[in-house]
Amino acid sequence: MTGLSRNERIKEESRLLRGTIAEGLERRITGALAEDDTQLGKFHGFYQQDDRDLRPERAKKKMEPAYSFMIRVRLPGGVCTPSQWLQMDDIAGTFANGTLRLTTRQTFQFHGVIKSNLKRTMQALDAALLDTIAACGDVNRNVLATSNPWQSQAHGAAYALARRISEHLLPRTGAWREIWLDGEKLAGGEPEEEPVYGRTYLPRKFKTVVAVPPANDVDVFAQDLGFVAVLDEAGAVTGWNVTVGGGMGMTHGDLGTWPRAADVMGFCTTEQAVDVAEKVVLVQRDFGDRSNRKRARLKYTIDDRGIDWFRQEVERRLGYSLGEPRPMAFEHTGDRFGWVEDHEGLWHYTLFIENGRIKDTALRAMRTGLRKIAEIHEGEFRLTANQNLIVSRIAPPMRARIEALLEEHGLANGWSGLRLNSMACVALPTCGLALAESERYLPDLVTALEDALEQAGLRDDEIVIRMTGCPNGCARPYLAEIGLVGRAPGTYNLYLGAAFDGTRLNKLYRRDVGHEAILAELRPLFARYAREREEGERFGDFVLRAGIIAATAAGRRFHEDLPPEVERWAR
Amino acid sequence: MPATAAPLVPPSAPFPDEHINALNAVLGHASAEQRQWLAGFLAGYAAAGGQPAAAASAAAKARPLTILYATESGNAEALAGKAQAAARRLGFKPVLLDMADASPGDLAGAESLLVIASTWGEGDPPQRAAFFYEDLMGEGAPRLERLRYSVLALGDSAYVNFCETGRRLDARLAELGAVRAAERVECDLDFERPAAAWTGTALAALRPADEAAAEAGAEIIRVDFHKEAAGHWTQENPFPAELVQQIELSGSRSTKHVFHLELSLEGSGIAFEPGDALALLPENEAALVEEVLEKSGLAGEEALGRRLLRELDITTLSRPLMESYQRLRPNDGLARLLDGEDWRSFVKDRQLVDLLEAFPSRLEADELAGLLRPLPARSYSLASSPLAFPGEAHLLVGAVRWHSHGRARAGVASTWLGERLGRGDTVRAFLKPNRHFRLPADGRTPVVMIGPGTGVAPFRAFLQHRREQAATGRNWLFFGDRSSLHDFLYQLEWQELAQDGLLTRMDVAFSRDQPERIHVQHRLWEQRCELWAWLEEGAQLYLCGDAAAMAADVESMLLAIAADQGGLGRDAARAWLGDLVRGKRFQRDVY
Repeated sequence: MTGLSRNERIKEESRLLRGTIAEGLERRITGALAEDDTQLGKFHGFYQQDDRDLRPERAKKKMEPAYSFMIRVRLPGGVCTPSQWLQMDDIAGTFANGTLRLTTRQTFQFHGVIKSNLKRTMQALDAALLDTIAACGDVNRNVLATSNPWQSQAHGAAYALARRISEHLLPRTGAWREIWLDGEKLAGGEPEEEPVYGRTYLPRKFKTVVAVPPANDVDVFAQDLGFVAVLDEAGAVTGWNVTVGGGMGMTHGDLGTWPRAADVMGFCTTEQAVDVAEKVVLVQRDFGDRSNRKRARLKYTIDDRGIDWFRQEVERRLGYSLGEPRPMAFEHTGDRFGWVEDHEGLWHYTLFIENGRIKDTALRAMRTGLRKIAEIHEGEFRLTANQNLIVSRIAPPMRARIEALLEEHGLANGWSGLRLNSMACVALPTCGLALAESERYLPDLVTALEDALEQAGLRDDEIVIRMTGCPNGCARPYLAEIGLVGRAPGTYNLYLGAAFDGTRLNKLYRRDVGHEAILAELRPLFARYAREREEGERFGDFVLRAGIIAATAAGRRFHEDLPPEVERWAR
Repeated sequence: MPATAAPLVPPSAPFPDEHINALNAVLGHASAEQRQWLAGFLAGYAAAGGQPAAAASAAAKARPLTILYATESGNAEALAGKAQAAARRLGFKPVLLDMADASPGDLAGAESLLVIASTWGEGDPPQRAAFFYEDLMGEGAPRLERLRYSVLALGDSAYVNFCETGRRLDARLAELGAVRAAERVECDLDFERPAAAWTGTALAALRPADEAAAEAGAEIIRVDFHKEAAGHWTQENPFPAELVQQIELSGSRSTKHVFHLELSLEGSGIAFEPGDALALLPENEAALVEEVLEKSGLAGEEALGRRLLRELDITTLSRPLMESYQRLRPNDGLARLLDGEDWRSFVKDRQLVDLLEAFPSRLEADELAGLLRPLPARSYSLASSPLAFPGEAHLLVGAVRWHSHGRARAGVASTWLGERLGRGDTVRAFLKPNRHFRLPADGRTPVVMIGPGTGVAPFRAFLQHRREQAATGRNWLFFGDRSSLHDFLYQLEWQELAQDGLLTRMDVAFSRDQPERIHVQHRLWEQRCELWAWLEEGAQLYLCGDAAAMAADVESMLLAIAADQGGLGRDAARAWLGDLVRGKRFQRDVY
C-alpha cells in the first residue's frame, strides 16, 4: 500500500457525500464546482464536464471552460412509464441540450445541464419519482436487468431482483435529498449510518446486472457482479448463477491493468440473492485496493487473491455455501429488433437507437416521435443495455397506432446487421476522459464498413462492433467482435476476437489506426470471413480459427500473444 | 463732461498703473456714446474668443444669469460651461445650475435664465433631471413672472420625439408666466454651431434693453465654441488611435457579438478617469454607401462615396430629412405621409435607403449630401483604468444587428469596430468626460455596481482602478446577460478579482439559462437584505447599461427594496432614491 488515493480522503471528509456542493451551487461567478466536490458529485449522479469543442476559444475570450453537467438517472432494469418518459423528455428540452441519451447501463443521461439548473433538474426527476443517487461514484451503480420481452415471466423476476438489489445497496446518506430537494439538514451530532458501505464507500465503481439466458444483452461478463437466471422447463426462475469480477476499464500503456471477463462463482436462490450481492460488496469494500484507483475494481481483487479465496470470503460472511453453478448458455449480446408478442398477448417493439442518442434531426424526428408514442402508450418503456429502446407491453388494439407513429417519424428498423450491433460511448465533446471521437464518429465508420460488407454479401450478418473514446470502456469494447478504443484524435486501437455471446474478450490486433487504416484492415477480413466461414460461425470465432488473432482466455492474458504488428510496442 | 467723474478703471484692475492711467485718460474724457460703444465692442471682442481682459471692468454692472442644464451624456453640461464663459465675457454674472441638483424653487427669484436641455430616449428628460422636470411640470411649480429666458434643446433626429424635453420646458416656462426672450433652438447631434449661435442670440436678448439698444447690431455678439485649447481632441479634430487588440468575447455559440477593443492613446495626451467615455467617429458600411448612391442615381460618384463613407449619416431616417427630401423632389405619396401621423410609423425601423426605395428619384451629388446630417460620433464607456493600462483605452462594444422591413440592418459604429476594422487600423477618437459617473473619492467607501451586458464596461475600469489605488472599500458587482456559458463577459477577470479579494461579491443573472427570464433586478431583490445593509453603510450605487428596459426595471426594484427593507412608503421610497441621486450616491450611465 502506498497510502490512500486522493478520492479516499475526499470521501472520508465529505460528511457522507455532502462536501461543499451546496455552497458551490451558490457560487455564480463560475459554472464549476470545487474540485473535490466534482468527485463527490458522481455519487449524486452527475459528472462535471466541459464542452471540449469550445476549449480552444474559451481562454482567448476571457471565459472559463464551458462547464456543464452530465446527469445520469438511477433506473433499475431500465424500465419506465410513459409519463416518466414524457418527464424525461421535458427535462431534456428544458434543462439539457435537447437530447436524451440512453446508456449502456439502461438509463437516461442528460448532457449540458448548467450548474444553476442542476437543482431544478434533480427536483424534476424527483417529481417523476426518479433519482440519481449512486448513478455514478464508488458505489453499486444502476442495476441492469435483461430487457428480453420474449420471456416476460423471467423478465419480471429479473427486473424485481434488479430493483431489490438497487434499493438494498443504495447509499443511506441524506445528502442527496438535503442538497437537491432542500430536504431537512442533519441536525448536529445526529448519527447517520452507511450500514453497507461505511464512510468511504467502495474503492471504485461497482456494477451489477441480472441476466436471463439466452440473451446476454446486459453483458454479464463485463460486470463486477452478475446474477444469471436458471430457468425450469416452464420458463420460471429456479435460482441464479452468480458471476463476479468482470470489468472493462484499463489504462493505455499500463500492463498491470486489463479488461476481465467475469468468473462464475456459484449458485444462489432468489431469496439469497440480495444477501449474496451485499456480501460480495462487503468483501470488495474491505479488500479492494484503495491506494491505486486504476487497480481498485473487484476484478483485480479477485485476480490478486484468486476466485477461490474470494468465494470463501463471501461464503464466510453469508454463513452458508453457494451452490454449484448450473449449466447456462448465452446466444447473443445484442438486442432482437422488431415486434414480438409475449405470453400475456401483449406486444413489444424493439427499436434501434443509434448510440442511444434521441434527438430530432433533419433526417428523423426521433425525439418527437417517441414523445408522441409516450403520449398514447399505456404500457412501459424498457431501455436496453445496448442503448436501444423497447416500447413494451402494448395492448393489441394500440399496436397499429404505435406502428403508425413509428413509421411516420422514420423510426422503423431497416439497418444493417453491423449497425444494429454497433455501440459507442458518448466521448467528445462532453466526456472529459475521451481521447478520440466515438458517438460522433462510429456511425460514419459503420457506413464506410457497410460498403465492404455489402460487397462481401454480409449486409444482414450480425457482427458486434463497439467503440469508446478512451480505454475505460463504457461501451464494453473489449467484448466486441470488433473493438475500437480511442488513443488520440482520429486514432484508435483495433481489437478482434471476442465472442458474439459476450463470453470471451477480444485482443489488440492493430495499434493506432485511423479511418482509412481501419477500413484497410477490416475489408479483407470481411471478404475472407464471407468466403471461409463455417456454417453459423461468428466473425469473432472465425478470426481465432483462421489464426488472425489469438484468443484471450483470461483478462490477465489480455496483453499476451499479441500479433507481431503490435508486439513492437515497448513494454 | 463732469470733471468730478471718478476714475472708471479702479487701481485694483489687472493692469500696470500706467495702463490704468492711460485708460482713464481716455475714458474720463469720453462721451456717454463713446463709452457705450466701447463697452459693446469689448463685450463682443471677449465673446468672440479674445482675451477677456475687459471682464472685470464690466463686472460693475454684472447681471445675474442662471444657466440651467439637464445633461445625460455631458453635452448639455459642456455647452452650459461654454455659455457661462461667454456670458461672463458679456458682463453677466452667470451661475451654472444642474437640474440634477436643483428644484424649481431655485428659479423663483431669478430674472434671466438660459436652459440647455437634452432629450433622452423616447422624449424623456435626462435621468438625473427627472425629479426637477417632474416637479416643474407638476402643480407645485412656482410662478415665474419676473423671469426672461431662452431654451436650447438638444436631441437626436433619429428619434421621433426629437428635442421633446426642451420643447416641453419651453412651453412650461411660458405657462408659468416667464417671458421668452429668444426663440428656442433645436439641435441635432451636430449641435456645436447652432448652439453657439443660440448662445449669442439669447445672451444678447437677455441684456437690459438699454444696453441692447445701444448696440449697433446684435451681430457683434458672435460666439464660437470651436476654438479649443491646443492638444484637446474634438469631433472636428479627433485623435487617430491605433486599434491594437480586438477580441470577440461572446462565445461562438452566443446569440450576440460583443467585442473587447484596445486602442492606443500613446502621444494623445488624453487623460481620462474611470467613468469617462471615448467618442469614436465611425465609418459606414461600404455596401450601404453603394446602395444609397445607386438608389439616388449616383452610382460611381467616388468623391461623394468617400464622404458618405466617413462623414455623413446615411442610416438615420427622420422627419426633417423626409421634409427636405420632399422639398427637393416632391412626391404625392410622401406628401400624404408627412401630412398626417403616418410618417411616425414609416420612420420606425426604417432608414434612408428605405425612403429612397419607397419614393425613388435621381439626385445630384450635392443634393444628396445636403440631405444628410454629419455622421455622429459614438461614445463608449471606457473599460480600463489608466492606472492599470497607461496609454490604452479598452472598450466593450456589442455589435448591433437586426432585421426590419425585410432588410438586414447593422449598427454603424458597433459593426465597424467589431467586424470591419482590424488590428492596426486607426480610429478617430476624442474623450467624452463624464464627471457624473465617478468612483467615490474615498477609497474606503463600498461600491455596488450594476452593469448587465456591455454596461459592465465602466466597472471593469472601476475595479482595475481601485486595485491600482489599493482602495480598501468593498466592491459588489451585479452582471447579467443571456447565457452564462456564452455571454459571461470578462468572466476570468472577475474570477481573478474575486480571488484577490478585491471583488467582494458578484451576482449574475443570465436570462436564457432557464425557462423563466432572470435579470439583474431579480438578483437585487434576492440579495435585498444584504444590499440594503451595504447602502445603509454608505455604499455608492452605480448603474450602467441599457436605458430602455433595464434601467427602469432596476430603479423600480430599488424602490421595492426600499419599501421592503426600509419600510418606506411609495413616496418616501421615491424621495430616498431622489436623495441618493442628488447626493451622488446613485450614479447612472445608461444609454
